[in-house]
Amino acid sequence: MNKEELLTTASLALLELEEGEVDRLGEEIARMLDYFEMMTKLDVDGLEPTTHAFQKTNRLRADVLNNNNNNNINNAFNRNLIMENGNDVEDDFFVIPNVL
Amino acid sequence: MSDTMVNDKYETFVGLEIHIHLLTESKMFCGCKANYGDEPNTNVCPVCLGYPGVLPTVNQKAMKMGYTVARALNCRLSRKTYFERKNYFYPDMPKNYQISQFQEPVGVEGFMEFEYNDEIKKIRIHDVHLEEDAGKMIHAGDMSLQDFNRAGYPLLEIVTEPDLKSGEETEAFLRAFRRMVRYLGVCDGNMDEGSMKCDANISINTPGAGLGTKVELKNMNSPRFVRRGLQYEAQRQAKALDEGVKLIQETRLWNENRDITESMRTKEMANDYRYFPEPDMPPFCPDDSFMADVEKEQVELPLARKHKIMRKYGISSEQAEFIHDEKVNADYFEQVMALGADAQAVYTWLSSDVQKELNLLNMTLTESPLSPERFSELLKLMDDGKISGKIAKQVLIDVFEEDRDPSAIVEEKGLSQISDPQAIGAVIEKVMAANEEVVKAIREGEQKQKGFLVGQIMKETGGRAAPALVQKILSEKLR
Amino acid sequence: MKDIDGWKSVLTDQDRAKKYREYVTGWEKKIGSLLEWKLPEAGKIKSSEGILASVPFAVKDNIAVEGFKLTCGSKILEYVKAPYTATGVANLQKTGALVMGKANLDEFGMGSSTDNSALQKTNNPYDTSRVAGGSSGGSAAAVAAGIVPFALGTDTGGSVRQPAGFCGVYGLKPTYGVVSRYGLTAYASSLEVCGVCARTVDTTRTVFHAIRGMDGMDQTTIDYDPVSPEVKTVGVLKVEEGSLSEEVAASYRVSKDRLNKLGYAVKEIEIPAMEYVVPAYYTIATAEASANLARFNGMRYGLSPIFAESPDDLMRYSRNMGFGEEVKTRILLGTFVLRSGFQDQYYVRAQKIRTLIRQELDEIFTDCDVIMLPVFPTAPFHHGQSELTSFQQKQADVYTCLANMTGSPGLAVPSTLEKGLPVGVQFMAPPCGEERLFTVAEALEKEFPAPRPAGYSEEWRA
Repeated sequence: MNKEELLTTASLALLELEEGEVDRLGEEIARMLDYFEMMTKLDVDGLEPTTHAFQKTNRLRADVLNNNNNNNINNAFNRNLIMENGNDVEDDFFVIPNVL
Repeated sequence: MSDTMVNDKYETFVGLEIHIHLLTESKMFCGCKANYGDEPNTNVCPVCLGYPGVLPTVNQKAMKMGYTVARALNCRLSRKTYFERKNYFYPDMPKNYQISQFQEPVGVEGFMEFEYNDEIKKIRIHDVHLEEDAGKMIHAGDMSLQDFNRAGYPLLEIVTEPDLKSGEETEAFLRAFRRMVRYLGVCDGNMDEGSMKCDANISINTPGAGLGTKVELKNMNSPRFVRRGLQYEAQRQAKALDEGVKLIQETRLWNENRDITESMRTKEMANDYRYFPEPDMPPFCPDDSFMADVEKEQVELPLARKHKIMRKYGISSEQAEFIHDEKVNADYFEQVMALGADAQAVYTWLSSDVQKELNLLNMTLTESPLSPERFSELLKLMDDGKISGKIAKQVLIDVFEEDRDPSAIVEEKGLSQISDPQAIGAVIEKVMAANEEVVKAIREGEQKQKGFLVGQIMKETGGRAAPALVQKILSEKLR
Repeated sequence: MKDIDGWKSVLTDQDRAKKYREYVTGWEKKIGSLLEWKLPEAGKIKSSEGILASVPFAVKDNIAVEGFKLTCGSKILEYVKAPYTATGVANLQKTGALVMGKANLDEFGMGSSTDNSALQKTNNPYDTSRVAGGSSGGSAAAVAAGIVPFALGTDTGGSVRQPAGFCGVYGLKPTYGVVSRYGLTAYASSLEVCGVCARTVDTTRTVFHAIRGMDGMDQTTIDYDPVSPEVKTVGVLKVEEGSLSEEVAASYRVSKDRLNKLGYAVKEIEIPAMEYVVPAYYTIATAEASANLARFNGMRYGLSPIFAESPDDLMRYSRNMGFGEEVKTRILLGTFVLRSGFQDQYYVRAQKIRTLIRQELDEIFTDCDVIMLPVFPTAPFHHGQSELTSFQQKQADVYTCLANMTGSPGLAVPSTLEKGLPVGVQFMAPPCGEERLFTVAEALEKEFPAPRPAGYSEEWRA
């Protein structure tokens, strides 16, 4: 992967690499991608991709309210901690800078 | 075909991406209330806030609604549908990926028919897929306030092929589409409140040359704005082509204050959503009982309903347009008809006096005290000559105000029509005696004055005298 | 008396609680296994009837426990408190067990040494100049030192089994989906599961049965039927000359001999696609990680700058400052293998290879009840990358990430001490075959129980 590809990838991942990181991370990633190349040796024709460990299907959740408002133990949570974790909270809104 | 050609030179291609908020109790992937008008960040939990460690769980009802709409749009329904992650960063999107569908949406390759300029048009549907909404930002100066009540709200996206030919036609399609989702009961279709949204793509080209350079149009919050945005955009593109300016593929926003579209001019990084199957939820394979449920949710769709009403009750297209606009009204109409009534009378009353009362009281027909039974009874009282049309209007108002049967109101208030010739004769004689001058004048040929006497007679009977009888007996007595 | 019963009074008895605190403090100075710990005040614990009543345990700090921090070993979450509790932990709490602390780990579970924790260094209880393994290094070290009878970890590619092997304790990676992932900070969702580090097989089994179960909050959970197994045939993976360090190779031979002595039918097996396991594993794991870690952006919670000009600025700053280099490397790699134009070549191909590997394992399990294979090619190594580079550490995941690729259960069992350092051996069973693993491990445990590091003591709770 060349530097340009690396930077495009970084911007997709919302990471901004410093010069040193471009070299260090770039080298490690290149090494891994070389290693991954080995996979092309294998004939994978006719194999379905495994996307889930076990292909169990049809798990649906009934459309009923279930959060701490009705004290359902399955989804109990502490709202105060959620607000405390907020970096900047005003009137129960999370505040972030505006795009000017 | 001139109305579909821009400046008689270019053909227009419009495709839509319509998002509807599904009317579920809970959110798409968690048990929070699906309601975003509440106090900020009250309908939130670790799942819809994207906390570390949480997992999504599919809402059964949203899944069923997705299939219901796809079925109504004549789509090929997926026998194995699954969710995927659509990866991009956005401040309102808690996980920075949207759980959506891509390879295997609930339905693909459908179509929808609608009426435009008295013709039936057929628009192809590319796909119908389920996804989740993002939170909302309120901009306040140099900061933005984030509210995640809407984050995770169930959305159904319907993508059409670029089969629409003009802004007007698109507006008509959208109205028909809105009516359909309301018929199915899956969405309230309020574009101004954001429960239905529509982005459009539009391109123009010389006839036969296929699609042109595609422009995405956003920020159109009503069917009317969609029409105007597309009209403006078609003109803008035609002008550019006329002047030999190369169009660029871009996203433009409709500015409703200036009536123009404006380029978003953002540093649009080439998006690469890197879709991949959502590992946190297994695929869904609808079984026979699920499909049977979806079938049960199907209703007679608006277009079919309209034509049935026209045929069965012999009313005009325009009248049927009014009656079938809302499913509950069409149902109501047919219920009244089933109780025995004249279609024209039912239409006339519904579209004028009844509508006026509903507007006044700000209620819908189904919540009003005027049940189909009461309405039919009112019409029957008139038909049987028990009350006059004028009295009937008063009784209608009373039904709304008092929530009682028309017959009870008529009886208690003594509103029934006087149709006994002897009783009417007596009143006429009394009025004639009191107006000898007028009687004399009429007998001398001044027929115009007869109206005055009728007025006096009606006044004397409180409007209850049968008008036809009054005319007949008065004429006899004046001879 | 079961080992676990000796722990039921360490928090309820005032005298023992005091000694317990001293014991933990003493060890923590040496090994740094816990990022946060707090013993409940003596007398404040209600006596309960559960099978693990008042038994303290530690939880890897990428698993949510309400009120405790949830750092994931990362600066980006250093001050975040979990507003909810993971299902596995909640299930344990129902049996009376008490969370006493949060265990150190490689940042977001990415590593094999716990050196990738941005917050603290964790040492091996047998030699503090060496690593405890990873990523659940804190959990394994705490159990090995006798600070807790068991600890919860997470296993994405070997993160429970490898540190268990390094620390001389049992490390179970359950079948995918048998234990809920709700509350486990996702690294690679389709591969990982909550696991158990414990001193004895019995405790491992008890905790496993306490944490498992179908969960409405995790739609990938599956049913588990605990049938009593009969284990007759053990497949032993043939390992190429030179793939294992001298110590580990010697230990592996000993383990094979023990199986023979215990009367098992031993059968040598080979997995043809073995060489593709690691590249396919890292392709899938980093791809999923790139999406899973996108939520950390300094909004709603987590590290955020004092000033930012725009939301994009805020997110970028938070991620640049908050993530360590190993995490950034994996996010970038995962982002790349999913990009359009590259996805078929890497990600989709890896998922197909995963299918092939499963097929090969299925085949092996038609005539083996369990299989034995190494945990890791080396004994615990020194801190830093002088002995094993970051790339070599990844390649060394080959024996453990196999079970994550197939979803099967795997159990690391303490085998021998080589030059004073623990070396473990691993057993794998077909999906939902955990009981087979316990059966074999228990047979071995009778003859060769888990070792104890110098300084280990049970006196204080006697």
